[in-house]
Parts: sequence; C-alpha cells; structure tokens
Amino acid sequence: MAAVDIPIAGGNAHDDAHGDPNLPYTRAKTGWKSWAYTLDHKRIAWLYLTAVSIAFLAGGMFALLLRIELFTRGKTIIDAETYNRFFTLHGAIMVFLFIIPSIPGSFGNFFIPIMIGAKDVAFPRLNMLSFYIYVVGATFALVSIVVGAVDTGWTFYTPYSLHTANAVIAMVFGVFVLGFSSILTGLNFLVTVHTMRAPGMTWARLPLFVWGMYATALIQVLATPVLAITLLLLIFERFFGAGIFDPALGGDPVLFQHFFWFYSHPAVYIMIVPGMAIVSELITSGTRRQIFGKLAVAASSIGLAILGFLVWGHHMFTAGMSEFSTMLFSALTFLVAIPSGVKVFNWTATMYRGSISFQTWSLYAMAFIFLFSIGGLTGLFCGILSVDIHLHDTYFIVAHFHYVMMGGTVMGFLGGLFYWWPKMTGRLYNETLGRISWGLVFVGFNVTFMSQFIMGSRGMPRRYYDYLPQFEPFHKASTIGSWILASGLFLTAYILISALINGKKSPPNPWGASTLEWQTESPPVLTNFRTTPIITRDPYDFHLATPAEVWEGFPEDFPGGNHPLARPATGAAGTAGDTHAKADVKKPSTEEKTADKKSTAKKDDE
Amino acid sequence: MNLFDPTFQLPEPMSTSAGHIDELFYFTYWLSVVFFVGIVGAMVYFAWTYRRRPGVKPEPTGHNLPLELTWTVAPIFVLVLLFHWGFKGYMDLSIAPVNAEEVRVRAFQWGWDFEYKSGESDSVLHIPVGRPIKFVMSSNDVLHAFYIPEFRTKRDLVPGMYTSVWVQATEPGEVVLTCAEYCGGKSKDQNGAELPFEQFKGHWAMQAKVVVESEEAYQKYQDGLGGNKPPEVRGRSLYEKKQCITCHTTDGSKGIAPTWKGLYGKTETLSDGKQIKVDENYIRESIYEPSAKIVQGYASPSVMPTFKGTVKDTDIDAIIAYMKTLKAQ
Repeated sequence: MAAVDIPIAGGNAHDDAHGDPNLPYTRAKTGWKSWAYTLDHKRIAWLYLTAVSIAFLAGGMFALLLRIELFTRGKTIIDAETYNRFFTLHGAIMVFLFIIPSIPGSFGNFFIPIMIGAKDVAFPRLNMLSFYIYVVGATFALVSIVVGAVDTGWTFYTPYSLHTANAVIAMVFGVFVLGFSSILTGLNFLVTVHTMRAPGMTWARLPLFVWGMYATALIQVLATPVLAITLLLLIFERFFGAGIFDPALGGDPVLFQHFFWFYSHPAVYIMIVPGMAIVSELITSGTRRQIFGKLAVAASSIGLAILGFLVWGHHMFTAGMSEFSTMLFSALTFLVAIPSGVKVFNWTATMYRGSISFQTWSLYAMAFIFLFSIGGLTGLFCGILSVDIHLHDTYFIVAHFHYVMMGGTVMGFLGGLFYWWPKMTGRLYNETLGRISWGLVFVGFNVTFMSQFIMGSRGMPRRYYDYLPQFEPFHKASTIGSWILASGLFLTAYILISALINGKKSPPNPWGASTLEWQTESPPVLTNFRTTPIITRDPYDFHLATPAEVWEGFPEDFPGGNHPLARPATGAAGTAGDTHAKADVKKPSTEEKTADKKSTAKKDDE
Repeated sequence: MNLFDPTFQLPEPMSTSAGHIDELFYFTYWLSVVFFVGIVGAMVYFAWTYRRRPGVKPEPTGHNLPLELTWTVAPIFVLVLLFHWGFKGYMDLSIAPVNAEEVRVRAFQWGWDFEYKSGESDSVLHIPVGRPIKFVMSSNDVLHAFYIPEFRTKRDLVPGMYTSVWVQATEPGEVVLTCAEYCGGKSKDQNGAELPFEQFKGHWAMQAKVVVESEEAYQKYQDGLGGNKPPEVRGRSLYEKKQCITCHTTDGSKGIAPTWKGLYGKTETLSDGKQIKVDENYIRESIYEPSAKIVQGYASPSVMPTFKGTVKDTDIDAIIAYMKTLKAQ
C-alpha cells in the first residue's frame, strides 16, 4: 500500500484556514489572528502552554511568598488573613489552572495527532473552543477568589466556606467551566485516538504517551460531571435553603467532602498519569530501548484511571466516616500501589543494557523515578489507617502530595519541555545550562519538601500561619530549598526562551528517538507529515528502525544522502515521515503548494 | 530513644496507641528505604554502567514474564500485611474501653473547652496517667480537628454530629493540643486595619495546654476546679479561660469590644440608635447571641463567637458577678 491520506472531517477547511500545509506550522500563516483563531492543534498547544506557564508562575509566586512568611516565627511579611488567601490561591491555581490542563493541553494537543500519524485532532474547532473555555473559566475562578477574598483552601470545605458562600459558588462555577474545557479536550482525544490512527498504528503500537493521555481523557470525561452535581447542590442550598452541606440547615458537612473528593481524587490521576506518560517517552528515548513490559505499562495507566474513582475516601480517614467505609477505602487505596509499582519497576528495568543519555530531559526522567518513588512510598504511610491518624493534615501530607504532583507531574512536564522543545520550536537549547537548571530544581525540590516530611511526622499541622519553636529549623530549610528550586525554574525559563530567540537550528531528530514525531521536520509542517505515514513497527523498536529514522544530524548530512527528509536544492523534496514504509517518492513541495487542496487529499490514495 | 528511629521522625510517644503506630511507622519506613534504595540504586547503577558511548548499541528489550509477575504479585502480600496491621490498630483506636472516663470537648473559632464529669469546664486539658479517657467532641461552628502529636491521636470535630476519640497516657508531662483541620483566621479589625501580631487569631493558634499528671495531681486539679469559690472569683477565671480577655479590657481602655470597666448598669447606645441599659438579660443575650444588639462603633455582625453550649447559666452568673466588681471608679 502506498501512502494514503486519511480523510479528516473538516480537514480541508482546516487547511484553508491555516495556510500553506507544506510550510512549518509556525510560518504557515502569520499575524495575531492566525494564533487567536487557529484551529491547528500545534498552535492551540502553544496557547495552552503559554496560559499554563503563566498560571505556574503565578501559583509559584504565591508559594514563594508563603515560604518566606514561614521563614521566621511570628509575622514575617504578610498577616494571617492574607496568608490564608495566598495558600488558597496557590492551591487553586496550581491544581485547576496549571496541573490539570498542563500536559494534556500543551503536549497532549501537540503530540497526540503527530504520534498517531494524523493531521490534527478529530474536532479542531472543539479544540479551540476548549482553550477559550479554559480562559473564561480561569478568569472567572481567579476573579471570584480575589474579589470574594476566599480563604478556605482549595478544598472549600463546608461549613467554613459558607461564610463566603457566594464567592465559593462563583469559584466552583469557574472550576466547573474549566471542567468543561477538560471534558471537551478529553473527548477530543478519545475520538482522535479511536478514529484517526495512521495505517498500521494498531492499539498495541500506540506510543505510551498516547496511552497515558487516553487514560487521562477517560477520567476527565467521567469524573468532571460530578463537580457539576456538587455545584448544583451548593446552589440549591444557597438559594433555596435546602439543607445539604450546612449543619445549621440540617445538612452534613462530611457529605461535601465526599462530593469534593469524588471529583478531586480522580483529578489527582488526571494530574499524575500524563506525567507518567511523558516519562515513558523520555525513558525509551533516553535508553534507546523498547520499554520493558510495554503492555503492563500501558495497562497500568488504565488501571490507575479506574482505581482513581474508588479511593476518594482516603482523604477523610479522620473525618468521621464509619469504620467500615474507612476500612474499605484503605484497602482500595493500597491497590493503587500495584500499577504505580509496575510502572516504576518497568522504567527502571528498561535502563538495563540500554544506551543511557544524560541530556537534561533524560535527567528529568530519572528525577521523576527518584521523586515519584518517594511520593509513592510515603503514600503507603498515608494509606495505613492507624499511621494516617497521626499523619493526617500534617506537613507529611503536604510533602507527600508535592512529591507526587510536583516531583511527578511537574518533573514530567519540565522533562517534556526540554525533550520536545526542539521539535516544537525548531531550536536547540543550551545543554550545559539545562543540566545546571535540572540540578537546581532537583536539589531545591528535595530540600524544600524533605524537611516538610520530617516536621510533618513530628506533628506540624498544615495550613498554619505560625508554628511552635521546635519546627523552626525545618521551616527555615524548607524556605531556603524553595529559593533554590525557584532559581532552577527561572533558569529553565531563561534557557528555553533564549533557545526560542537565538538557539541553534535543530535537526528533525536531535535525540535519535524512534517515535513518529521525530520522523518529520522540526518544527513540523502544518499537516504534520507531508504524506500520511504507514506504521510497520512498534514506536520504540530501536533495533527495527532504519539508520535514517534515528539519525541525529541534519538530513543533508546523512551518509549516503538518501535521508527521507533531505531536501536537495533542486527539488524532489518534501518527503514525509512515513519512513517506516521505506519512503515513497514524494511530489516536490512547490507542486503540492499549487495543487488544489481537495485533490491533495486524494492524490496519494491509490 | 528508639533504636529504629535514628532520624527522629516522630515526637516523643506518650500514649498507649503510640507504641503500635510507631512500630508500624518505622516498619513501613524501613520497608520503603529498602524499596527506594533498590529502585534508585538500580537506576543509578544502570545509568552509569550503560551510559551512552559512541558506537555501542543498546540491547533490544527482551521479555521476562516471571520477573514481571513477581513484581506485580509480590507487593500484594506486603500491602495486605500493611493494611491488616493498620486496620487492627485503627479499630483499637476507635473503640474506647468501657471504663474510660468521659471528657466533653467543645471546639469553637478559635479555642477549646473541656468539660469534666463534675460539670466544671476549663480551657486547659488535664489527663491522668494510666487510665483511659474518652473525649466526646463537637464543634460549635466549623470543622476542627483534635490532634495531640505525642498521643498519635487525631479526630475531626464536625458541627452537627458527635465524634469521639480515646487515649491512655503513659507518662506525665506537658504537651500541646492543636487544631489540625483548617478553620480560618483573623488578623484585621472591623475596619480592615491590620491588628498587631499578638492579636492575630486563627487555626494555627487554636491550641490548648495538655497537662498529663499523676492520679493524685489530677484529683487535686478536679477538686480545685470551680468548686466552692465565690462567684466573682470564678467569673474572673472564666474571663480568662473563655478568652473574653482577648477583646474586652477591664481597665477602661478601648479594645476590639467594649471594656467591662463600669459596663454593668451603664446605658449604651446601640448601632441602630436605641439606648439600652446593660443588665443581666443584656449580658446573657450578648454572650449567647453576640450580634443581636451591638454597641455603636463596633463591628456588626460581631466578631465574637457565640458561647451557647459552652457557657452555662452558672458561668454567666459568675461572669456578671465579676463584672459588677469592675466599677467605673
């Protein structure tokens, strides 16, 4: 079979709206409108990446201010009410505006279609809509927190949250709108993965990043509606006096916690599974090996997605649930350790007899294994009922979930940034500075949160504005750690932005990776591939990849000179990434450029 | 000193439940250390041994089903052990011995009130060594949590329901009971101006002193609590214990709330312009429903929590008796 073009609903409209399909997507069309109204999944990914980076910066600034306040006992820089608002803002921004949309919105959008050999996601317009819904929801949520002076923590527990009930309803409404963005993105990914895989891209050959995003999308679509139910109940209570959560009206505050965590616990897996998905890519490219037990790694993502729905009660072991429910949730919680363990063991085993890279992104993958192991193992303490009684609501919990969320997801996100930056921008970053920034982030992170483990198990409760003298050294260490961490993150931002401005030009496959996104130009052309690739091997089968596929340099320098992406000055250029199928002869790009768009869609379909 | 605790991760154990929890904590800790060192050790070893070298190709990944099954199934046994061990301990923590003495705990923003079986109450918690004490707890306003790190005990206090927890202290000493469920804070006055740090109140400051003492000392404390003291003396101590002292001065200086000096019998102007004579009924109402009648110039609704349920009629009598001693001149 020759290269075929997959018919995409609205695909032609998409081309029309976005200009020349043979130019890099960054140059296919210009002007601000080409970004603001874009239907191209790669540009939407950039919009998301920009938005979540701003959210990360904002949430991070609040974190730094909180840490400075805790540097000394008593008042350091802000008063208690401001402190309470800041930790609410830190939590809400990081969870709802940063981590949940971060990886699916940016890398998911950019790489799912490319990794399965498609031109775009299934519903490009829906994709753009979900970004704008995110912007509306984010704005709404932030304004209601700031104007309503919400100081409830990101969990909005009743009845405390009822004293700012209108602001909480507005805030939950904002989160609900954000949820729609999540649902639409998730739905889009599910349909894309089901219907738009290139010929030969069987489910078994699906890259692990796509598997992880698929699992995430399932959770997004299934869990987010519960948030809507919670909101409706809050509104009933507020405006019609139905006693649901408010004990003054005969309601049950613990019920709110059930509803909240029924969404927010699956949301934890919306946060971590994408991080794991990226790490699976980094590990395979960093070792140049097929992942050990690929089926188990893919299945464990789905396993986590399902288990994520069954363990919300472990946030409430001290909240006054019955002993029976407590027992059940503890037992189910332990099951989470199995798929998590399988992933960590398989990643580590993949390194055995590999060819291991020490490039920044590969270091991030190792940092992920290191930090996530700590995050996962400390989860055991929290799952054990009697031990959790002591640890619940202390800094031990704070450290635990930061090790998972930040040590896991954010390390995956940063690793993904370094790994895919040359692909997304066509520019190489400074590797030496990259490694230095990694070192700062890794050391800073551990100093910040390791001290929180110790003060937590020694009895320091969370969300405290001030503390007893015995906790001072731990708080001091933690604050100093936060400065190291922040300097690493600012350096990261500098490295990536300066690469974008004046970095060296990147070859198509600077890391010698074997997945599909590296078999097209950097940055990819508007339609991702010049012709639809045909998949003949697993994405991580390095030993089956042709020398051209894993060639790290520029195509023009490829020995023998027959690299499929090479573009000799005279013309027969513009070949695509279907190198798995031994590169068909491609029409020159100039000819494609002038060809009628509709016939382009059919011309290879013979 | 615990031999298994070279890292000082847990505070001094002072209750019977601490033994179980500490053992399980350190068991899990050392188990985690083994797993962590295994995983990270292997990772670092592989990373260095198989570091990328020019011309050296990686070996294609093989299959090893027994290995994969082992690390999928083996952890299950460990997990079942941990679950069972923890659940057993949790049940022991949940079910109080029948002979436990009950102490009624009431939490409010931001303080604790402990009522002993004699009916007397205090803001300091006294516990005898070597005897089970059961705390029957409720909250007047929002969620709080009863947490004494040295006892390894914690339980949420939920408005609208009773929760309970029990402890048996093993050695005398003084520790701190602290709130572990976020319950807000206050650092500004009614005009939005920032108060001095000493007047900040909130979740972090919702602490109570816990005195763990011998049986004799405990009995002596119980005898001295309330008892036969004259009402104005009891009123004076309630003034401190119930935190009235935080906002109401007794020397005539202006605080967050009206001073008590010369308050009884005085005619005050309320926020709606009406005049009212401060008498027994007004004081009683103001303690139970602080926002019902607010004196002109003070925050409305009142920042004062209601003391309904934590201050009894006899306590109010005592407070009024104390107020009567604070004459204007």
